Amino acid sequence: MSQPSALSTNGLSRRKFMAGTVSAAAAAPLLASRAEATAPAAAQPKLRQPVITSLRINKQAYELSLDARTSLLDALRDHIGLTGTKKGCDHGQCGACTVLVDGKRVLSCLSFAVMNDGKDVTTIEGLASTDGKLHPMQQAFIDHDAFQCGYCTPGQIMSGIGCVNEGHAESENDIREYMSGNICRCAAYPNIVAAILQARGETKGA
Amino acid sequence: MDAAAPRPKENQGEPLPRVDARLKVTGQAHYPADLPTANLAYGALATSRIAKGRVTKLRLDDARAVPGLLDIVTYGDMDKVDKPKFGNSGATSIGPLHDRTIFHDGQIIALAVAETFEAAEEAAQLIRAEYEEEKPTASFDSPGTKTVAAAGKSPMFKEDVKAGDFDAAFAAAAVKIDQRYSTPTQHHNPIELFSTTAYWQGDQLVVHEPSQNVTGWKVELARQLKMDPANVRIVSPFIGGAFGSKGPMTPRTAIVAVAAKRLGRPVRCVTSRMQAFGTQTYRAETRHRIRIGAGKDGRITAFAHEGWEVTSRPDLYVVGGTSATGRMYGYGSVLTHVSLVQADRNTPGYMRSPPETPYVYALENAMDEMAVALGMDPVEFRRINEPKTEPIGKKPFSSRSLIQCYDQAAAAFGWAKRDPKVGAMRDGDWLVGMGCATAIYPSAVAPCAARVRLTSDGEVRVQCGSHEIGTGIRTVAGQMASERLGVAIDKISVEMGDSGLPPAPVSGGSISTASVCSAVLKACDAIRSKLFAAATAEGSPLAGSHNEEFDLADGKIVAKSGASAKVEDVMKIMQVGAIEEYAEFAPKGATPEALKKLYAGTPEFHGGEQDEDSVKYAFGAEFVEVRINRYTREIRVPRIVGAFAAGRIMNTRTARSQLMGGMIWGIGQALHEATEVDRRYARYVNRDLQDYLVPVNADIKDLQVILVPEVDHAVNPAGVKGLGELGNVGTAAAVASAVYHATGKRIRDLPIRIEQLLA
Repeated sequence: MSQPSALSTNGLSRRKFMAGTVSAAAAAPLLASRAEATAPAAAQPKLRQPVITSLRINKQAYELSLDARTSLLDALRDHIGLTGTKKGCDHGQCGACTVLVDGKRVLSCLSFAVMNDGKDVTTIEGLASTDGKLHPMQQAFIDHDAFQCGYCTPGQIMSGIGCVNEGHAESENDIREYMSGNICRCAAYPNIVAAILQARGETKGA
Repeated sequence: MDAAAPRPKENQGEPLPRVDARLKVTGQAHYPADLPTANLAYGALATSRIAKGRVTKLRLDDARAVPGLLDIVTYGDMDKVDKPKFGNSGATSIGPLHDRTIFHDGQIIALAVAETFEAAEEAAQLIRAEYEEEKPTASFDSPGTKTVAAAGKSPMFKEDVKAGDFDAAFAAAAVKIDQRYSTPTQHHNPIELFSTTAYWQGDQLVVHEPSQNVTGWKVELARQLKMDPANVRIVSPFIGGAFGSKGPMTPRTAIVAVAAKRLGRPVRCVTSRMQAFGTQTYRAETRHRIRIGAGKDGRITAFAHEGWEVTSRPDLYVVGGTSATGRMYGYGSVLTHVSLVQADRNTPGYMRSPPETPYVYALENAMDEMAVALGMDPVEFRRINEPKTEPIGKKPFSSRSLIQCYDQAAAAFGWAKRDPKVGAMRDGDWLVGMGCATAIYPSAVAPCAARVRLTSDGEVRVQCGSHEIGTGIRTVAGQMASERLGVAIDKISVEMGDSGLPPAPVSGGSISTASVCSAVLKACDAIRSKLFAAATAEGSPLAGSHNEEFDLADGKIVAKSGASAKVEDVMKIMQVGAIEEYAEFAPKGATPEALKKLYAGTPEFHGGEQDEDSVKYAFGAEFVEVRINRYTREIRVPRIVGAFAAGRIMNTRTARSQLMGGMIWGIGQALHEATEVDRRYARYVNRDLQDYLVPVNADIKDLQVILVPEVDHAVNPAGVKGLGELGNVGTAAAVASAVYHATGKRIRDLPIRIEQLLA
């Protein structure tokens, strides 16, 4: 079993942030009973205050008032209505939520929306040109039947573009390794590799 | 043509790209939790931290204090609703909020509903339960299990099949083995999370939820909520992987519906990955004892397969794969027995080839051991035991191309180059092993309805309440209409995944292509009949040529003589703008109630092992190469070849993809997948995708699928045998066989892990 490669989230990760707040809160009520001390503590009031966040998504500007705990993934899906980006685990373990932030692939479930203030986000909805022409990676996924149910597909396609742009698509083995953070439970893996090979050249130029 | 689009051979359809491919690569395919819903409230589940006992007190004050909290649904709030039923439409009979008894770890104890997802999650985590805890029974070998015979406990597992005098034959056999095998708990883990979105429009309830069974769920949910099924609608246009997990409805659906009613606004509950392990079904762990006796010539004279399967306390779920293993080869005598072992666990359920995956794994691993005991080539051993009729009822096979599959796969794999000596093949620091095994899956079919409309300008709409779980059912249903109506696929739209459409059976048991295509075929043929009748009527373009055969092509009715008439012109004569036909297909042997049962969400299955005239199975042969590092014992599968024969192939592209996915599932079953159970607490430990291992891209290298041509007119009008569950049967045994060949170690307990090879 190969471990999925960890993708960087810019700066502070959501996981670290959550861990920090939980341990800080859990340290205080030592006088409480054991049952209460081990239960998760209520969030600090400040965290519930809405935060105004500016995001640029698929070349369009959005200003959102969000609970500070809102992940970039939930902001896209629940607050903007861009449901092409999928939630498969909410723990950074499956890759279905992969988007590009300033051109690099990021797991949007592990990144708070507020951490992306002022950044450029590209989602699956932003790939095709306005005249409907598909991005070469999208077309290659169709040509090679690189999906079945299609649920992990937006994440695979965004990750595939990221993989090419990072220079990690130079060999089939590289593609397999650097695409292993995106789980496809239907297991279209050989077709995904073939699709990325096909789209590699045109993606570099895109 | 590239690998993804195999060139069609005899009785195989074109590798057309999926009709919904563009939606899927642009993010426009809407899975149930994506469907836009206004004024949505968010739900989050709170679940039990014990596996057995009672909830004595729930403290909700902290949860209620969370800003944005709207409601908490818990004990007492479901009293006016009927408890769930266990069966094909219901995952369990446990009504988690109907009483305070805890049957398993992770059982739902409350649903928190709030204005935002974040507030709902916070509130759910602040719900504090106090328990009266009892020591739970986790699994096999735990104190407190109860064992019962499986036969007759499920309508799908009526008996322990047997034939001849096993005891005498086994005692007299010249060569014999007696071995035990096991398979672990596994969870489907489709990448789409389980979710329910419910809203009410007056007395009408609409539910958006990924489902393999919208008609069954409509009826079962209406029963629980004491409603007319006509007022319940289940919407599931795209399903993000299912593998059986979305076949039966879970208790969550009614709870979310009640929450939406109480609030008077839509509620969506997306179950976390971790909670899914306890609130959905899973593949039961199984144990097997297999005895095989044969003569020195390799002919099997005695076969016994005993199975034990874990299930829950309240529900007797049966895996029961002896129906297939007992009929696989030409055994002289057969003895089988299946037992259920009840423990304090959630109820298991269907997971991709539910009976065959564990039972055929055990059989095929035993077959390999037997070949070794006989000193025979494993392919030759199977060839010798190829039967003319199945051994239980002495019925013929409607078609059986197993040997063709072995021959074609062996040739493509290069089996002849295998040195049969254990440990003889090496490549540097890697021990090389090669193994093979048989795949089998029953070819069943069920009643199905479909509506097809052909307009005068040549547009076709196909409507059928089946489910696009990734199999390509929309595409192949469209292809069937395209072929029968002579209309290009891009002029055809296919609507599925809505209980308001003509009912289809559950998308399980690999019945969908056969059932749906048979119904679409029937509707299209009714349209053809109307058109031909009108075209040949007096004064019509083809009048007088009624004794001829006709076809539809390119918007024209074409007679054998070459004379033709435009469909558009014939419809003008008929004074219609479109012809629409509603067809109900019932398989051969269906009871008089078969169609009524389809509408009631309890469709009959036919085919497989159940028909009088013959048994119906799809077969395959899989060959695997493993490489095992001589120092670390890391196991890799660099190469796998599978050849499969499954009657008519509607689309070689989607068929290959399904078989490929199945073979990779098989590799996962061999080497990766296992839900670990903490035996002290009867609790799943590795409840996420980091610790529940599934194959990733780097685990798979060369994979070849061969579609062996096969014609079978007996299976169903479409001539189709399902293949969605065929590919992952036998794979794990082929891997075990290859591991033995490389190392001399026979691994009988799945998954095969490094530690088993280190000792």
